[in-house]
Amino acid sequence: MIEFRDVHASYDEDIKVLDGVSFQIPDGEFVAFVGTNGAGKSTTMRLMNGLLKPDAGQVLLDGVPTTELKTSQIARRVGFLFQNPDSQICCSTVREELLFGFKALGEEGPDAEAAVDGVIREFGFDADADPFLLNRGTRQLLALASIVVLAPPVVILDEPTTGLDFRECMKVMGIIRRLNEVGATIVMVCHDMEVVADFARRVIVMSAGAVVDDGPTFDVLRNPHALGRASLIPPQVVDISLALPLMDERLVESPVALANTLDEMQAAVSEEAGR
Amino acid sequence: MNGFLEYVPGDSLLHRLNPMAKIAFAVLFAIACFCTSNLIFLAAMLVLGIALAASCKMMRPALGLMKAVLAFSVILAVLLLLTNPSGDVLVELPWGYVGTGSVLAALTTILRLEAAAIPLFLAFYVTKLTDLSNAAVKVLHVPYKYAFTFASTVHFIPVFMNDMAAIMEAQTARGVEFDQGGIVKKVRLMVPLCVPLLVSSVRKTNSAAIAAEVRGFDLRTRESGYKAYPLTVADVAVLVLAVALLAAAILLQVL
Ligand SMILES: Nc1ncnc2c1ncn2[C@@H]1O[C@H](COP(=O)(O)OP(=O)(O)OP(=O)(O)O)[C@@H](O)[C@H]1O
Ligand SMILES: [Mg+2]
Repeated sequence: MIEFRDVHASYDEDIKVLDGVSFQIPDGEFVAFVGTNGAGKSTTMRLMNGLLKPDAGQVLLDGVPTTELKTSQIARRVGFLFQNPDSQICCSTVREELLFGFKALGEEGPDAEAAVDGVIREFGFDADADPFLLNRGTRQLLALASIVVLAPPVVILDEPTTGLDFRECMKVMGIIRRLNEVGATIVMVCHDMEVVADFARRVIVMSAGAVVDDGPTFDVLRNPHALGRASLIPPQVVDISLALPLMDERLVESPVALANTLDEMQAAVSEEAGR
Repeated sequence: MNGFLEYVPGDSLLHRLNPMAKIAFAVLFAIACFCTSNLIFLAAMLVLGIALAASCKMMRPALGLMKAVLAFSVILAVLLLLTNPSGDVLVELPWGYVGTGSVLAALTTILRLEAAAIPLFLAFYVTKLTDLSNAAVKVLHVPYKYAFTFASTVHFIPVFMNDMAAIMEAQTARGVEFDQGGIVKKVRLMVPLCVPLLVSSVRKTNSAAIAAEVRGFDLRTRESGYKAYPLTVADVAVLVLAVALLAAAILLQVL
C-alpha cells in the first residue's frame, strides 16, 4: 500500500512542484498517472521511491514514512523504470546488467543467476550483447527486465512506452500486465491515452501539481472537465461509446480493455438501429 | 532552477557591460587578490565582490559559491596552520608550533580565495555564453572555432552534471547506497557510472557536432557575427578600476 498524505514538494524553495497531493494505492492496483508536461507526475513517482522527500505531508510505504527508510530498503520493494533507459544501463553485457540489481542489494548467488537466466529466456535477449548497442526499444525492454528480475512488489514506470513503436509498446505493456496479474502493484505515468484505456484500472489526473481527478479508468476518461484541465483528449473508443447511450452502461461494467469491446459496440449499434 | 555557471537573465549594469570587460575585470580582480597579503585590502575586495553580486541580484548563487569555496579554503587554511610555524607561539605541536603568523596566513588564504572567486563566477552568471564567445571573436579576434569550443565546453558542464545526477538517481533506485558510507565507498560506487556518463556524453557531443556542421559551421568567420560589441564608457571605467585595484594590491605588497 502506497499512501500520500497532503504531500507538498519542491526542488527550489520558491518553486512549488506538488501542492497538497493525497491518494492511496492498495496492493495489486494498476494505476495510470496522466497530465500535461510539468504537471508533477515524475516528481510524484520520485517521492514514491524515496528519491525525493516531501517538504510537508507524508509518503507512506506499507504505513512507514519514506523518510524513515533507507533507499536500498525501498529499492527492494519498489522497482523504478526511468523515463530514459540510458541513465539506468551501466554494464557491458545484458547478463551483467540484469545481475547488477542483485549485486547492488548484496543478493548475489545461485538464486539470482537462475532468475537472470529465466528473464533472459522470457524476454528473448542475447545474454552477451552490449546494452549500449541495442536499439531504443530493446534498451527500454532491458531496463524493464532489470527491474522485473528482482520481482519487487511495486513497480513504478515513468513513461514506459514513449518513443517505442507500436509492436515494442505492446510488448512492454504485455509484460507489465503480466507482472500485475501475478500480484505486483503497477504505477505508471503515460501520455498515450489509448494505452491508459487499455491497461489501467484506475487513472489519476494531475495538473499544476495537484490531483484533479481520480477514479476507475472509464469514469475518469469520460469526465471532460477534469481531462480538459489537464489538456487531455479521451481515446476515440470513449467518444464512440459516449455517443451510444446504451454502450455507456456496458462499459461501466467492464471498464478495463475498452478496445476489446468492439463486439459490444456492434451489438449496441444494431440495437439502436433496430429501434 | 539554475545550473552551475548558467546565465541568469537580468538588466543590471553588470549584465549590460561588454563581455570582454567583465572577464578582464574578473581576471584582474583575481590577480590583484593573489598579489597582496594585506588583510584589510582583501576584506575590502571581498566586500566589493559581494556588493557586485548584490547589484545584479545574484546574492544566492554568490552565497552558495562562498560556502563551497569556504569548505575548500578551510582545508587549505588548516594545512597552513599546522605546517607554517611563524609569529608568537600559541600552541606547541610535536613538529613545530602554531603561531600568530600561522593564524594570519590561514586567514589570508580564506579571504583571498573567497574574494578572488566571486567576480570570476559572477562573470558567467551575468554573461550569455554566446555573447562571451562572439565578443571574443569580434573584440579580441579569436578564431570562431576556438571561441565556440570554449563556449560549448562550458555549456556542457551543467549538462553533464545533470546527466550524472540522473544516473546516480537511477542507480540509487536500484539499491546502490550513495547516501551511505564514506567517501571511499562512494567513489568505488561511482566508477561503474562513468560508463553510462561517457556513452551519453560522446553521443551528445557527437550529435551537437553534426548539428553544427550541417548548419554551415565551417563557413562562419569574424564578419558573420551580426552583433557588434563596442567598448562603452562604462566598460572603460570598469577596466580602469580593475587596473587600479591591481596596482593598489601590488603597491600594498611592495611598500
Ligand atoms: N531536478 C529538477 N530541478 C528543478 N526543477 C525540476 C526538476 N525536475 C523537475 N522540475 C520541475 O518540476 C516541475 C514538475 O516536473 P515533473 O518532471 O514532475 O513533471 P511531469 O509531470 O513528469 O512532466 P513530463 O510529462 O514532462 O515528464 C516542472 O516544472 C519541472 O520544471
Ligand atoms: Mg515526467
